[in-house]
Amino acid sequence: MKKENKPTGYASFRSFLRAVAGATLGLSAGLLICRLVGESPIKVLQVLYQSSFGSGYDFGMTLFYTAPLILTGLAVAIPLKGGLFNIGAEGQLTVGALAAAWAGVLGAGISSPALAVLFATFFAFLAGGLWGLLPGFLKARQGSHEVITTIMLNFIAAGVTAYFTLYTIKDPVSAQAETISIPETFHLKPFAVFNGAPMGWLIFFLILLAVGIHYVLWRSSWGYSLKALGESEVAAETYGISRGSSWMSSMFLAGGVAGLVGLVEVLGNSHRFKIGFSADYGFVGIAVALVARGNILGVLPSAFLFGILQKGSASLDLETDKITRDLSYLIQGLIILGVSAEGLWGWLWKLVRRKNA
Amino acid sequence: MSALEFRGVSKRFGSFFANRELSFRVEPGTIHGLIGENGAGKSTAMKALFGIHSIEEGTILIRGKPVRIKNPIQAMKLGIGMVHQHFMLAGPETVLDNIILGREPGFFGINREKALAELENISETYGLQFGKWLSPVDELSVGEQQRVEILKLLYQRSEILILDEPTAVLTPQEVSDLFQNLKRLKDEGKTIILISHKLKEVLAHTDAVTVLRRGECVGTRATSETTEDELAQMMVGRPVSFTYEGERKVFAKAEDARAVLRLDRLSISDAQEPLHKVALELRPAEILGIAGVQGNGQTTLLRFLSNPSRFRSADGEYRFAGANRMGSNPLALRRAGMALVPEDRLAEGLLLHQDLMENYLLGQHVDPRFVSRGMIDRSKVRPRVEAAIRDFDIRPPFVNIWASRLSGGNQQKLVIARALDSNPSVLLIAHPTRGVDVGAIERIHEAIMKERNSGKSILLFSSELDELIDLSDRMLVFFNGSVAAEFQRREFDPWAIGRVMGGGEK
Repeated sequence: MKKENKPTGYASFRSFLRAVAGATLGLSAGLLICRLVGESPIKVLQVLYQSSFGSGYDFGMTLFYTAPLILTGLAVAIPLKGGLFNIGAEGQLTVGALAAAWAGVLGAGISSPALAVLFATFFAFLAGGLWGLLPGFLKARQGSHEVITTIMLNFIAAGVTAYFTLYTIKDPVSAQAETISIPETFHLKPFAVFNGAPMGWLIFFLILLAVGIHYVLWRSSWGYSLKALGESEVAAETYGISRGSSWMSSMFLAGGVAGLVGLVEVLGNSHRFKIGFSADYGFVGIAVALVARGNILGVLPSAFLFGILQKGSASLDLETDKITRDLSYLIQGLIILGVSAEGLWGWLWKLVRRKNA
Repeated sequence: MSALEFRGVSKRFGSFFANRELSFRVEPGTIHGLIGENGAGKSTAMKALFGIHSIEEGTILIRGKPVRIKNPIQAMKLGIGMVHQHFMLAGPETVLDNIILGREPGFFGINREKALAELENISETYGLQFGKWLSPVDELSVGEQQRVEILKLLYQRSEILILDEPTAVLTPQEVSDLFQNLKRLKDEGKTIILISHKLKEVLAHTDAVTVLRRGECVGTRATSETTEDELAQMMVGRPVSFTYEGERKVFAKAEDARAVLRLDRLSISDAQEPLHKVALELRPAEILGIAGVQGNGQTTLLRFLSNPSRFRSADGEYRFAGANRMGSNPLALRRAGMALVPEDRLAEGLLLHQDLMENYLLGQHVDPRFVSRGMIDRSKVRPRVEAAIRDFDIRPPFVNIWASRLSGGNQQKLVIARALDSNPSVLLIAHPTRGVDVGAIERIHEAIMKERNSGKSILLFSSELDELIDLSDRMLVFFNGSVAAEFQRREFDPWAIGRVMGGGEK
């Protein structure tokens, strides 16, 4: 009976290998294009390496880019387990970030930093969560397609947060569209080794969060129901799994997690809410989750990869003659293609076999 | 010269041979049975013939000429036609339009008069009487729809007609009509290939039979020279018994025992198959069979019984385990001692891309035996799954493989083992042996009977009348959403039951 552990273990390991091979393939194709436009691939890799790992500051910045992508990657991957495609992480993180900033304004009297951070975390999670719950509810109640509703709610979130930023908690002395800055008790301190890059203990918290969510999804009845629903709605319903509560709870959790981007940005970096602060984290999160193949733990390396590319794209633009920012987006795109090309491997395998035969 | 010949045909999927050096001949103007268990390669072979699969080795000969069939259109041009198990008809369109689709006469617009004349001609030649050319297909009975499919092949001038399990959805009367029609087609020179797993049918209506097992051709026999036992042995590789011959324990006073499950005046109007004033009582230690042609309300009844919360329009009374169950959800019914083997195990019963343990948990994912404080303890589930694999001889015997890797019979054994795991007092079992290998059927029937003999109540839904007759203590026949008649075991007679299934009197 020892043999029985093999199949799934093997399958998931193979799936991981495929993802890595796919990413490598996509990267190689990207480097080939760099070569075609006249840039040495070695140079490109060097620049990428230098810009992400070259110094404490660079590494800190890479993590700073990675952190929101972990959260939005999770926000996409969690509902995906239940068969929902959450395009709304962008809106959820915007609402969450505003809530974090607002918590800072409301909680100005809190003297304990730990309590202050907890207070802001709660607000950010709750606001993002409710923003995620709404499409979950509409889907459960009316059957409204979550892709449509979450896209719509992205726009609504942008409008609503802009309103509050400009009319309710606007910084009266700033000429920018931003809120009053939060008190020092709310600030997350960055690590000194990062030389000013705004990232500290938070990154460990995010890794723990991903591990925790993975654990709960795998071990709990709730996670089981969600996965069963994602695998087969009909089977889940036949055996008494409620679609509505699974969908709503998973979207609430996803929205809440996306909302925690407020910690990275507001508490960790700018200490206030700025309209348009997000570099499309919510949308890149979709790519992060896809490259992770919907695997919760896979979101971590996937987000890190995107963090490196995001950080590197500016350096590539500056430090090479031929490569522009757009070209580095192209490389990102090729990596996504490489990983998500499910049929590619079967096709390659067939080709190899035919040659050998 | 044979109408069709397979010569050493092989088809591989990866390292798995779906067909291995298949060789057999079909003589023109005969009905040729093609039988084998699920996964024996019948449909792969026919798909190769129909141009859906490409073959790797060997040759297919049509009327003595080797052909390479690349797609179904080419197959149709060669005179090969297929009636699929699930009909390929456009419901709202007329019979005429469905038939001429793909070969519409007329250059500008469709010349329906011409098509109609041709069809009348065809139906006269082959004795397939049919008057409803202009009715929508939706309004026809299943048997009539099947006749439309056959007419369509004739209209396309098919010479070789492949019928995939054509009797699965018919009443005994319709089956007899079908075979009369097939015989007439044969007399007119058509060649018919009948894919089936019902040996009785094959024996009664074919001229020759080819048996497949594990992708290989076991042999071809002239029907007149073979027996049911021989064919079964060829299919399974060992002797099999078809009817349940085990013990049927007799319980004292079973007839007036108190019902454990009771329906009264149950009407459901907003379902695809509505129910009208259904009443039934399920007593301890009995198997109550539910018979009827597919689509007469059995599906709604099963879905309602297992999940009343889904039917808001349900009206009437549903009592189970001493409580009113109108509006209950499956988990509540499960707690009260109900278990389910759903109609469609692939869609409703299994998570195909999850392993056997996860599948075993479906429905049991909140069972307090396995769950505490919302967390599932899989180390408690594993021994149960291992026991199920042992008891039901599920193969391959691994807990950690995907359910999709099991054959139909093994999947069904898993679903049944799971239903029995919670030691339920009432079992709702639908189509327990549909698409299941002959070898597994025995085991499943034994398991059902064992539950009955230990005092459990079983509501058995099946489209196989033989199965219901074998196992049931009583039988209710559904027609048009109502119980049309009740039969006691001593009254079981396929023709009488079939008459009621078709809308007649008991």
